[in-house]
Amino acid sequence: MRFLGSALVSFLVLAGKVLTKSSSGDSVLVLLDPSLSRANYSIFFGGLEQQGYDLTFRAPKHASPAIAEYGVPNYSHVILFTPDTKSYAPDVTPQSLVGLLSENTNLLIALSPRQTPLTSLATEFSLILPPPGTPLLSHHPKRPEPANVIPVSVSESPILTPDTNPVWFSGVPHALGNSPYLVPILRAPSESFAADSTDDSGSGTILSASDKGGEGFWAGSHIGLVTGFQTTKNSRAVFAGGVELFSDEYAKKALPSGQRSGNAQFARDVAAWVFQETLTLRIDRTEHHRVNETAAPEMYTINDQIVYTAYISAYDRKTSSWKPYSGITDMQLEFTMLDPHVRIALPPVSGEPGKYEVQFRAPDRHGVFKLVVGWRRKGYSFLHTTTTVPVVPLRHDQYPRFLSAAWPYYAGAISTSVGFFLFSALWLAGDVKGEKKNLKGVKSE
Amino acid sequence: MAGPKTAKLSSPPTTTPPETSVAVSMLWESYMQQTPNRLKLIDAFLAFIVLSGVTQFVYCVLVTNFPFNAFLSGFGSSIGQFVLTASLRAQVNPQNRSEFKDVSPERAFADFALGSIVLHFFVFNFLG
Repeated sequence: MRFLGSALVSFLVLAGKVLTKSSSGDSVLVLLDPSLSRANYSIFFGGLEQQGYDLTFRAPKHASPAIAEYGVPNYSHVILFTPDTKSYAPDVTPQSLVGLLSENTNLLIALSPRQTPLTSLATEFSLILPPPGTPLLSHHPKRPEPANVIPVSVSESPILTPDTNPVWFSGVPHALGNSPYLVPILRAPSESFAADSTDDSGSGTILSASDKGGEGFWAGSHIGLVTGFQTTKNSRAVFAGGVELFSDEYAKKALPSGQRSGNAQFARDVAAWVFQETLTLRIDRTEHHRVNETAAPEMYTINDQIVYTAYISAYDRKTSSWKPYSGITDMQLEFTMLDPHVRIALPPVSGEPGKYEVQFRAPDRHGVFKLVVGWRRKGYSFLHTTTTVPVVPLRHDQYPRFLSAAWPYYAGAISTSVGFFLFSALWLAGDVKGEKKNLKGVKSE
Repeated sequence: MAGPKTAKLSSPPTTTPPETSVAVSMLWESYMQQTPNRLKLIDAFLAFIVLSGVTQFVYCVLVTNFPFNAFLSGFGSSIGQFVLTASLRAQVNPQNRSEFKDVSPERAFADFALGSIVLHFFVFNFLG
């Protein structure tokens, strides 16, 4: 069976067809606004279909096909390319979309400068949007396009292909709140700002706002354009400030420098991340046992040497399978009872892919402990596992006996006994020899 | 119990006062002469027990009382043996004959032996 599978994979590779699928499912529902032409997104959607995704298109106002039935999502991923839609079918609400995320469905959402229900949804994800009707503007670099169509250079990120060309962007920026689950993917150029008109009549206000700084001012490289959000259940959502980022028009549009734009590559990378193709990790299993043993004991004794092992694999999009992964170097193991009593590095074992192992001494403290591995890094799946183990004190017959420090006491007790026997022997011997005479002699005095 | 000693101690004060060494040597001589051999045997055993107990106590104070059960049993065996032996000495002393009319020396020794064996049983049980 395995041979057959690998033969099939090699056949597909030979056939030149790249078949990459998501780790969480292949069905995608696309809510596409009627004002957007599907042909204008053919590179993005065609790329997804070529990868093996099963796309279903639906207008936001149509009730079928339903996103979820009886509380169970029908699709593994949902793309909302409805930046200007104000009214949706009843099954699409901010609450239902959040419910989809908690059912491990991924969301790719495009926003626009218009005020829509998705704007308030973004606020729930700790993205702070500017007032309605204030798109991102930039007058640099000098180019024939209007000020709201901006080439944005792509910064280094584990999500994106290295050395991606700058991408064309047009839409609304957002400030990032302090949620630790946010994953910035694309940030605004430092000379850009959000304003409600392109004619620069309000430049004085913008200047005074920039002097004051702080909240209410969307400008500079600290604001985001495309931002991801990873939930504690490892489902992912991406908010993009403009839907044109994914369009054929921007993918084909040449940059002011004359290079090809990076939009197609960028859109593919963002989709790969949000559909859980890349940076997807999981803990396959964990083991723990005493050193020099193999099976997990029912309970540990204080000061035992414990060996803890975790097996971690990463999703490999090329073969659509989980492969052992040894790339994590900063994972830690905690041995906790309310507080971590032990916190140590859990390094990968060289030569054994996917295996992380550490040996440590249980504290001199009994109680119910937990072996906790928690690893949270921006962009990667969160890893978390706990195992509860009891740690008991020594049994009454497990304590060390006949300590060398106690030899004077042992000698004292033994010598007293020996002395008692010698004394008794002498006493009885004296009795036989007729000591009574002496006693009588004393008595007679 | 210490009949011979006190009998002798009451007489020296009539002689010259500063001669304490003379008094001690006189005490020692009278003890050697007047004490029966059996009581000397008992006294020697008592002296050994006192020495052993003091040694253990000093070790406990200066070095360690860990493990404490070993200290308790070792020191307790010294004390218990001392008490039993002292009782034996009181009962077999001919000068106390009037107080222990119905206890013969043989009976006293049997009591002493039985008590000691029980004591040592507990001591060794508690020692480890």
